[in-house]
Amino acid sequence: MVETYPIEVTVNGRRRAFEVAGHHSLLDVIRDDLGLTGAKECCLVGECGACTVIVDGRTVDSCLVLAVEVDGAELTTVEGLATDGVLAPIQQAFLDKGAVQCGFCIPGQLMSAHALLVEHEHEHPTLAEIQEGMAGNLCRCGCYQQITDAIIAVTEGGR
Amino acid sequence: MSGTRLGDQVGRSPARVGGVGRVTGAQLYVADVDVAGVLHAKLVTLDCARARILSVDRSAALALPGVHLVMTADDLPQPVPRFGPQYEDRPVLAVGETKYHGEPVALVVADTRELAERAAALVRVEHEVLPPVVTIAGALAAGAPLVQDPAVRRKGDALAGTNVLHEHRVGWGDVDAAAAEPGIVIVEHRYTFPIVTHFAIEPHAFMAAPDGDGVAVWSTIQHPNWLQKLVAGVMGMPLSKVRVYAPDPGGGFGGKQHAKLEPAVVFAALAVGRPVRLVLTLEETFQAARRAACESRVRTGFHPDGRIAFQDIEADYLIGAYADIADRVVGKGSYPAAGPYNVPAVRILARSILSHTTPSTAFRGFGNPQVNWAVESNLDEGARALGIDRLEIRLLNLARKGDAFIPFDTPADGEWEQTVRLAAERIGWGSPLPEGRGRGIALGIKSGPTTGLSYSNVRLLGDGSVIVFAGTSDMGQGARTVFAQIAAQELGAPLGWVSVVMGDTGVVPYDQQTSASRSTVLMGNSVLMACRSIQAQLRAMAARLHDVDEAQVSVDKGIIRVGDRELTVLEVLRPGLGSLGGEITGLGEVRKDAEPSHPLGGSAAFFEFNCTAIEADVDRETGDVIIEKHVTVSDVGKALNPLQVRMQDEGAAIQGLGHTLMEHYIYDDAGRIRNLGAIDYRIPTSMDLPIWLHSETIENDDGPGPYGSKGMSEGALLCVASAVGAAVREAIGVPIRDLPLTPERVWRALHDTAAQGGGGEARG
Amino acid sequence: MHTFAYARPTSLAEAVALLEAHGPDARVLAGGTDLIVRLRDGSAAPAIVIDVKRIAELRAGIHEADGRVVIGATTVMTDIAADALVLRHFPALAEAAAVVGSVQIRNRATIAGNICNASPAADTAPSLLVHGASVVAEGPGGTRRISVDELFVRSGVTTLARGELVTAIELPIPAQRIASAHVRRTRRRGHDLASVTLTCGVDATGVTRIAYGSVGPRAVLATDESGVLADPSAADSVKSPILEAVFAGASPSPRSMRAGPEYRLAMLRVLGRRALAVAIERLAAGE
Repeated sequence: MVETYPIEVTVNGRRRAFEVAGHHSLLDVIRDDLGLTGAKECCLVGECGACTVIVDGRTVDSCLVLAVEVDGAELTTVEGLATDGVLAPIQQAFLDKGAVQCGFCIPGQLMSAHALLVEHEHEHPTLAEIQEGMAGNLCRCGCYQQITDAIIAVTEGGR
Repeated sequence: MSGTRLGDQVGRSPARVGGVGRVTGAQLYVADVDVAGVLHAKLVTLDCARARILSVDRSAALALPGVHLVMTADDLPQPVPRFGPQYEDRPVLAVGETKYHGEPVALVVADTRELAERAAALVRVEHEVLPPVVTIAGALAAGAPLVQDPAVRRKGDALAGTNVLHEHRVGWGDVDAAAAEPGIVIVEHRYTFPIVTHFAIEPHAFMAAPDGDGVAVWSTIQHPNWLQKLVAGVMGMPLSKVRVYAPDPGGGFGGKQHAKLEPAVVFAALAVGRPVRLVLTLEETFQAARRAACESRVRTGFHPDGRIAFQDIEADYLIGAYADIADRVVGKGSYPAAGPYNVPAVRILARSILSHTTPSTAFRGFGNPQVNWAVESNLDEGARALGIDRLEIRLLNLARKGDAFIPFDTPADGEWEQTVRLAAERIGWGSPLPEGRGRGIALGIKSGPTTGLSYSNVRLLGDGSVIVFAGTSDMGQGARTVFAQIAAQELGAPLGWVSVVMGDTGVVPYDQQTSASRSTVLMGNSVLMACRSIQAQLRAMAARLHDVDEAQVSVDKGIIRVGDRELTVLEVLRPGLGSLGGEITGLGEVRKDAEPSHPLGGSAAFFEFNCTAIEADVDRETGDVIIEKHVTVSDVGKALNPLQVRMQDEGAAIQGLGHTLMEHYIYDDAGRIRNLGAIDYRIPTSMDLPIWLHSETIENDDGPGPYGSKGMSEGALLCVASAVGAAVREAIGVPIRDLPLTPERVWRALHDTAAQGGGGEARG
Repeated sequence: MHTFAYARPTSLAEAVALLEAHGPDARVLAGGTDLIVRLRDGSAAPAIVIDVKRIAELRAGIHEADGRVVIGATTVMTDIAADALVLRHFPALAEAAAVVGSVQIRNRATIAGNICNASPAADTAPSLLVHGASVVAEGPGGTRRISVDELFVRSGVTTLARGELVTAIELPIPAQRIASAHVRRTRRRGHDLASVTLTCGVDATGVTRIAYGSVGPRAVLATDESGVLADPSAADSVKSPILEAVFAGASPSPRSMRAGPEYRLAMLRVLGRRALAVAIERLAAGE
């Protein structure tokens, strides 16, 4: 019988309480228990960023976090970016700038882009800062330039 | 409704159809699809390249509560079914022997993924490790173990007692006579191209479920109809009882074209009577699909003025333990190896060499990048030997539109010189270079589809909205958007009113496959044809309504002219359908039949042509290559969606930089892949881009696709390595003929040259 | 993943007691960026995982006390890279922290984890060695300080005793400022494990310290007190033999996938010279 631990997490603004097994990753719980399949499984070693979510305001690879560790934390996933069905500016910018091809890496990219924009809220990040800030999210379709364009568009225009 | 003008869709870049789901996380990939009662599967594999299977002990695994099945080849129909698009050589599960690191021995099915993993670890496979061949030299050595039993090779195959699966010979003219001519300058070198893998961010995933007396299959497959036919054949079911759901793959690049584990998952699902899902890990995906490596010997003869007198090319491709589509890759990839040039004498011998490695499969470029690297690099060597500019030598030999540069194939179908000159202009060819920097320019060519068959259905509904049914797989290239644009344009519907249904063999008509950059041309024309059929019906409807001869009615995109009146589609459709309502349906069928006498089974529907020009700095102390400028220009006929074209070309360019600068499988002495997974297999990140990456297109409306379009998306990858290699060569004065150009390898080339007393050549 | 018990002690005493009780059957969970990978691939199979992030006495953060900069054990790389004290006194450490993995990794990876995993390629190790860092360890026998140089044994092995937990890292603020620079060799510009990682520090008395990793079982610290390396006017031909002696401690593995031994040894010299140049420049600029 696997021991479970009770945790409370605010998920996309909503307080949730549930039980998790100690060895389940945050990614497992997000996808399987919460049914939020935006965060993806790919490398499972913290290299590709497809599983990126935001915990207490910082991006993390959710495959490298045990679900129990986020007890009491605030969790944001891609499903939490849009408000009342209206896309966030960064989501719209991704579409407008052609930053989406197969789409599999995009939830993770959006999380990192969102965090980058919050970090640089009152300034324009340089190209190097954007590229470095986004380097933890691999895109095999090669959308990097368009993703960068989308981020720049948001910093210059509509946040 | 999207805010785009009616009848003005094509040539603009509206937002990707299906894009919203991708940015909200709502899009369901195979691993996200929830099916009630699904069980979870895990592969049992061995940690060696090749082994004889002695026994499989499942008892410990089966003893775990919640484990439903441990399936091996013994549980399958005997003889074990084998499958493959070219040779039916791959068993559903390993039979008697595993032939590559990662070949599945068993499939475990359990209540949860975790349980399936634990159970898989408990399956004891007693095995005897056998010596593998994992290199070309090893495979060709006298007395080398045979990868495939001669008894299963094709009847009458003279090569059955060797590891050479097939030899492809293409040629024209008399190479030996040309070589013997006085004054010919001959340049001969060997080149190698590494084993690399697709590394789509979505690992392969499969699910199967009993469906009445048939089966439903979900797969990341790029060719849903191929899979349907395969499953039906293996299971002995009619096609109508096999339904394949193919959600948009999270990246394919060719690695998901052909079935890998679907048959095993289907057998398992039918055995347990419940849905079964198998999602591969990234490591298992690396073991499941890769590109063929290649070792080439290129001997090029030049006249003193730079005209190519002959090309004599031998290319050995290292394919895997099972053929998959690899032999086709070798044949089709090597076929235009002499390049987009007018060469009077050509001799190409390309061989598919079997090995105890992951079966190589299709991968963007389909065998062309491997020989392009060799032939374009050798062309540069010739230019240097003759003292001729490397751009000029290419322009001198370049085929012009209409030239039969491959005598028995489609003639050159583009104003390729424009592409080359534009790239040269953008890179500033001929302008002074800073110290330590080099420039390279290379041309890439690939044959488009040689056969094809694409059906589509288009339904114009009673309110003027449209549904397009097209079996293409949209794995990011934006096919869905392009088809929606065509339908919107032709039927006068706002883009937001067009739905595109793909990926379900139960409702979408037959499409042969999504590959060879074919879909804009073949399926696009099919959708266009279906729309034309609807337009014809609208014409008849308008004639009837207005009591005129059909000859007085014309339909052009969304406007219907009756005499001198202009009507919208709805102004005809509503009254035409009347009080019962209804819809108008069109069927499109585009077929490119095989030409049996053609070496490739058919001539090229079009060519993909690209010119890539590079400026690179090399840090001579560390070997780092920094690409300052990367220009890529493709001849695309017409860009139906310019933004998507740019994304595809830049994406292909970046992917090409991967095998150029950092990607390769590292094998140990026992033939196992050492760098499985993301930590030690490096692909380009956002920080690894060229400082300036610029893509452009040449559009002369001269393609066979809708509105003059050609296929694209592979072109910009074809000659990346060649152009970068050429720039590095110029920067350091030392040739490197093996990829990837990692910092260590570049350093070694400089270091070894210095040690031998050479300082490298002066830049030329 | 293997199953294990999960403990989340809220006091140091509780944590130490758990560590002592379970010994090798326990693993400390701080950032998780190394441990979770090992749990998944089976190279770590503990009975219990002890999450140290809620221990009251272990506050993540950086402060100055008694002429030392004290970094809480669970301080993450993101915060170390941006900290004003670290940037002012130990610039190489900030540079190193800034290149540990990606943003996502740096938001979780802790300095204590980086040290205690004792990977030969740990990016913070060379700068900690150059700056004479120590760890503060709490154990059943009480508190002790261990210099980082005495802490590393080889990959995965430190001199921590059973039951001991690192609570802080201390870096002395030297009377003579050490200007330092960190450099590394990777296979691509994007995030990567280092094939060679190196820090060089010079001070106004002319002492040069060079520490390097990923070229042997543990990071190595070498010191030149002759003043020659730190002298901007000394010729390369004069510095070379000293650098050779500095790098004599390197023994790169021939089996590594990341880089071959000959290249690594050559890059040590290249990086050593480059880091030295930057350190000298920083010293002169009064950074």
